Amino acid sequence: MHEGAEAEAPRVETRLVYLHGLAALGTLLVSVTFGIIVATQLLVPDLGAGVPWLSWGRLRYAHTQGIMLGWLGNAFLAFLYHAVPLLTGRQVTSARLGMWLFGLWNFAVMAPGWILVLAGVSQPLEWAEFPMVIDAFVVVGLLLAAVQFLPPFFTRGLEYLYVSSWYIIGGLVFTLLAYPMGNFVPEFVPGAAGAAFSGLWIHDAVGLFVTPMALTILYFVIPAATRRPIYSHFLSMLGFWLLFFVYPLNGTHHYVFSVIPMEAQITAIVASSVLGVDVIIVVANLLLSLRGAGVFPRDPGLRFVAMSTIFYLVVSLQGSLQAQMAINQAVHFSDWVIGHSHLAMLGFATFAAAGGLVHAWQRIPWARYNARAINWAYWLLLAGVIVMVAVLTVGGIVEARLWQSEAPWLDSVRAARPFWLHRALSAVPIAAGFIALLLGLTTGPRGAGLAVVDESVGLDPVREVAPRLAAATGDAS
Amino acid sequence: MSYLVASVAGVAFFVMSVALLGIWPGRVLEEQSRAMAPERPLGLTLSERRGREVYGREGCAYCHTQQIRYVHADVMRFGAPTLAWETRLDYPHLWGTRRIGPDVARAGSTRSEDWHYTHLYAPRSVVPDSVMPSYASLFDGSPNRPRQSARDLVAYLESLGRAREIAGPEGETRARAGCNCPDDEMAQMAFTSPLLNANPARTRRGAESPVLAPDADESRGRRLYAANCASCHGPRGAGDGAGAAALVPKPADLSEHEYSTARLSDALWNGVTGTAMQAWRDHSTADLAALARVVRGFHTPQATTLPENLVGLGQRVYAANCVQCHGVEGRGDGTAAAELPMAPTNFRVQRPSLGLSLRVMRNGVEGTRMASWAGRLSEAELLAVASYVRGFFEPDDVPAGGRPQ
Repeated sequence: MHEGAEAEAPRVETRLVYLHGLAALGTLLVSVTFGIIVATQLLVPDLGAGVPWLSWGRLRYAHTQGIMLGWLGNAFLAFLYHAVPLLTGRQVTSARLGMWLFGLWNFAVMAPGWILVLAGVSQPLEWAEFPMVIDAFVVVGLLLAAVQFLPPFFTRGLEYLYVSSWYIIGGLVFTLLAYPMGNFVPEFVPGAAGAAFSGLWIHDAVGLFVTPMALTILYFVIPAATRRPIYSHFLSMLGFWLLFFVYPLNGTHHYVFSVIPMEAQITAIVASSVLGVDVIIVVANLLLSLRGAGVFPRDPGLRFVAMSTIFYLVVSLQGSLQAQMAINQAVHFSDWVIGHSHLAMLGFATFAAAGGLVHAWQRIPWARYNARAINWAYWLLLAGVIVMVAVLTVGGIVEARLWQSEAPWLDSVRAARPFWLHRALSAVPIAAGFIALLLGLTTGPRGAGLAVVDESVGLDPVREVAPRLAAATGDAS
Repeated sequence: MSYLVASVAGVAFFVMSVALLGIWPGRVLEEQSRAMAPERPLGLTLSERRGREVYGREGCAYCHTQQIRYVHADVMRFGAPTLAWETRLDYPHLWGTRRIGPDVARAGSTRSEDWHYTHLYAPRSVVPDSVMPSYASLFDGSPNRPRQSARDLVAYLESLGRAREIAGPEGETRARAGCNCPDDEMAQMAFTSPLLNANPARTRRGAESPVLAPDADESRGRRLYAANCASCHGPRGAGDGAGAAALVPKPADLSEHEYSTARLSDALWNGVTGTAMQAWRDHSTADLAALARVVRGFHTPQATTLPENLVGLGQRVYAANCVQCHGVEGRGDGTAAAELPMAPTNFRVQRPSLGLSLRVMRNGVEGTRMASWAGRLSEAELLAVASYVRGFFEPDDVPAGGRPQ
């Protein structure tokens, strides 16, 4: 029963970790470039005028899809190649399949998706902008990922699953179920009823894909880096089941005060409140596991992850708050929401993905690693995110106030300008931070990451980490 | 066993969410749509459908919502909340989640076609502070040469809100009966909103407009004029702003007209139907008064005297040729006036300069039914009528800015 983790270290497909890691950083930089252009266009609207593929709407499509599928998708896959063998003591299904998945995800989804969207072939649905033909490839990709990563989990019985394993299973299965809800259904269900399905996916994209994958990383890296088991396995599992119960019920909170039946709206609002409670449980567990490591731990992967944990708490409580009718009525449609989504994707998810990537990278013996650049990346990104979210949140409140007054509409556009300026400026540290992250993982001596992990040179990460994770599951034989 | 329990539980959660927030509301909405829609609701034409695709692919929905929510701020600005049946042909829906520009759920017939083209081609030529991207690629080099996709897009924009509008009072009655929701406060908002379409840019003919005080803040007026009006009417009111190029009819040359305050109030409050002049009801009365004062300042009155014989001639020619549209007393209320897309000039409330008056007589006004009279009337007759119509003007009782009457 217990031989898996300790007896013989399972093979980690480091090449696939590396490839997905590079693809993640590549698509990230492209997506961030799209983001910077659209942020600048709000200040210089004639930037790129007359060039259809440079127009705001199309770049905005490419930006969000690039961040979710390109950057986070690849980074999560990279981390899964690192984590699944360690969590299960088994190899992933097949390295060959891995190459197919890698090729499909980047050259049948990302590259053609971007090209099509920029060429004007898209669907006008939030978080689902790639056209349906690309959606089909995404579904195939998700299926391949399920085949690749899930079988190793079903070998020893559920009682041996660590919480990260639960999140991996949950995330992969539910994304597969939820993806068609937002990407296919609204094409066939019109208007308000279609919007109800759209709302489901807008939330599930974050709740059933991004959040479980990010939490996988949080729950994995914290014990691995602090070398202590997670504080409470019970709280972990409570958080997990509450999350998968409550998250999918949130969707309609994107359409409060709409014609969608009030019962559905209220269900979503109540679920949003319960979600806040769930996140408090999860984050309390994570922070208690982090105790002693400080807010800015020395281990670089852990430092990203610690901040991700804090962002997760803030963004979720903000979400619960803005789902409430009194607040939603004012701030909905404003830059407040844009700030919220960046706190989720650029704060919580990106910091988790970056932490997971750094953590996995350090444990590839032949990968280059530049500790100074990683350090710079952390501080630049932190500064950028905080400035951006703060500016957008305040800007959103200003817009909301003006919309509620009798001022002409354009006054809200004029008033937003200084906020948009500072948001665009926040792109400087953010872009610099991401470039530093890329440098951190592509320059420096080979194997330098491992040296940072521990004094003992030549440490086998698998032998070191796996037993600790196993200990966390109560399987510490 | 535990595998089974866990996977059943997990999938059940998901199925529950889809059933509760997707399928069930969908059925309620479908039922509601069927009960509340007018008997034969209007769909989209082929061109409008193509325009909808342009709207979708360019990401318009990321800045313009198509969903008026059941909240006071929305109803006040845009009109009655969106009912389910109004969206029943939206494959996929274009509700949007962010508003940088205004909601467009009822944007139809709030702007003229030439305004739309100019605005799509170069948004800041008509709305200086707009941040909308230019869609020049939908045009063949100039705003008055729209490609098919631009025509389709404008056709689609014109269709927004139309179905509910043409359903009329019968449609509203049917919707109310179909809703059967006398106790539902929110649903009632959709019926009891003071206006179906409260878009502040929507033009109206002859609706009540506010009384504008003559002693308004002129410096504020100048700022407002520069921010909102100069783009079309030009910095000095000569009708030569950047946005004027493709507008038909051309923006009024404010320096060549003497306006009564009531006329300016009407034009600012209600817009000028049949032209690109929108209504500015989203501005306060004080702001409109300030603007009116600035506009009146563009004009320098000129004294013109004509030989006596021409006065009589003007009257005769006017009575023979002009009364059908401009009315016996020059009020623009002739028997044919109601048929015209743009109301004929009411000379009681605005007086063109003699030069302008003559130019109009000779050349007509492009984009209106005012024809050229150059071949039909003699030079003396043209001058006589051009001068005669100026005599109808009734200045305000209260002199503006202390200028002598």
